[in-house]
Amino acid sequence: MKRILPFLIILAVLGVALGSAWYLSRPEPASRQTATANSTPSSSSSSVPSQPVALRGVPGAEPAHTLGPANAPVHIEEFGDFQCPPCGLFHPILEQMHHEFGDKLRITFREFPLYPNHPHSVVAASSAEAAGLQGKFWEMHDLLYEHQNDWKDQFDVRPIYEGYAKQIGLDVERWKRDMGSEQVAQRITLDGSRGHSLGVKGTPTVFLNGREVPFESLPAEKLRVVIQSELTAAGQR
Amino acid sequence: MKLYVTAAIVSLLGLADAVYLTVEHVTGQSVRCTIVAGCSEVLSSSYAIAGGIPLAAIGAGAYFSVFSLATLAAFGYRIAGTLLTALVLLMFLVSLWLTYLQAFVIHAFCQFCLLSAAITTALTVIVLIGVIFGRKNR
Repeated sequence: MKRILPFLIILAVLGVALGSAWYLSRPEPASRQTATANSTPSSSSSSVPSQPVALRGVPGAEPAHTLGPANAPVHIEEFGDFQCPPCGLFHPILEQMHHEFGDKLRITFREFPLYPNHPHSVVAASSAEAAGLQGKFWEMHDLLYEHQNDWKDQFDVRPIYEGYAKQIGLDVERWKRDMGSEQVAQRITLDGSRGHSLGVKGTPTVFLNGREVPFESLPAEKLRVVIQSELTAAGQR
Repeated sequence: MKLYVTAAIVSLLGLADAVYLTVEHVTGQSVRCTIVAGCSEVLSSSYAIAGGIPLAAIGAGAYFSVFSLATLAAFGYRIAGTLLTALVLLMFLVSLWLTYLQAFVIHAFCQFCLLSAAITTALTVIVLIGVIFGRKNR
């Protein structure tokens, strides 16, 4: 018995380790109400798509930064941080969905800067919001994400952002003033409050017609399925 | 004997940490940025994968090997003790390299990776004590 005992102990530990890995990686229970690639969206959420999102949580900054028509059957609300690498990776995916689904998809971006974990996140959010006051939020949003690797590890990012402001044709002096304005700070705070009220803990967090899309469903091929199933439920295949 | 049992118990902590990190890596949960962590930067970096396999999974395999060797050594398999020392020293060197990468290349620390480095350091101290006292007793 003593000869095989160590092997039995080793086998038992292997079993516990594999069992734990399986337990931790199993899908979340359905009761969490998440939108996954395999789920069937409820008809109530698809008939008036923008309502569930608007009805849950406290309101964010108004007017929100949106792409796509207000009556689109699918509404994606993203809470993002410009300095977060996964958000940078998610940016082209969302852009692709915007092009693929066109008027059937409405996208809202909410600021959720993870300061101090990301030291430039608030300045980046302010930069985008200040550009938004001149009607160029999405242009700055795109540049910040597309060039994230150029600035995220820099000590002083303001000269880089100023270059972006010039590039998209902003009134740079006004943009600089707006960046430190109460209005911009208020918008970021309101978006953050909305995120907290919806239970957002990290970025990117994506809600699709009011239901959170699990992080593992955010790659393009899976997100496409989630959007299509929502469209099918809305009868707009 | 006692040192091998201690090494086996400590390696279980490392195994739990590495299994957790592997699952987080594979499911993508830790890759999301959070208010507290720095794991997103570390796990989404190109250094988190070696030969297509998540480094955390390789770590889990290494900790399981340490546990197996320590258990066998505790039951009197002498060759297991020698292999254990070699493996732990190799893991210590890898941990030093990974901590260097977090500090100077990725510029972000993942607390679970640091915990793993601390566990490997503890294992290194244990096996070195075993080597030193083993020689004295000869």
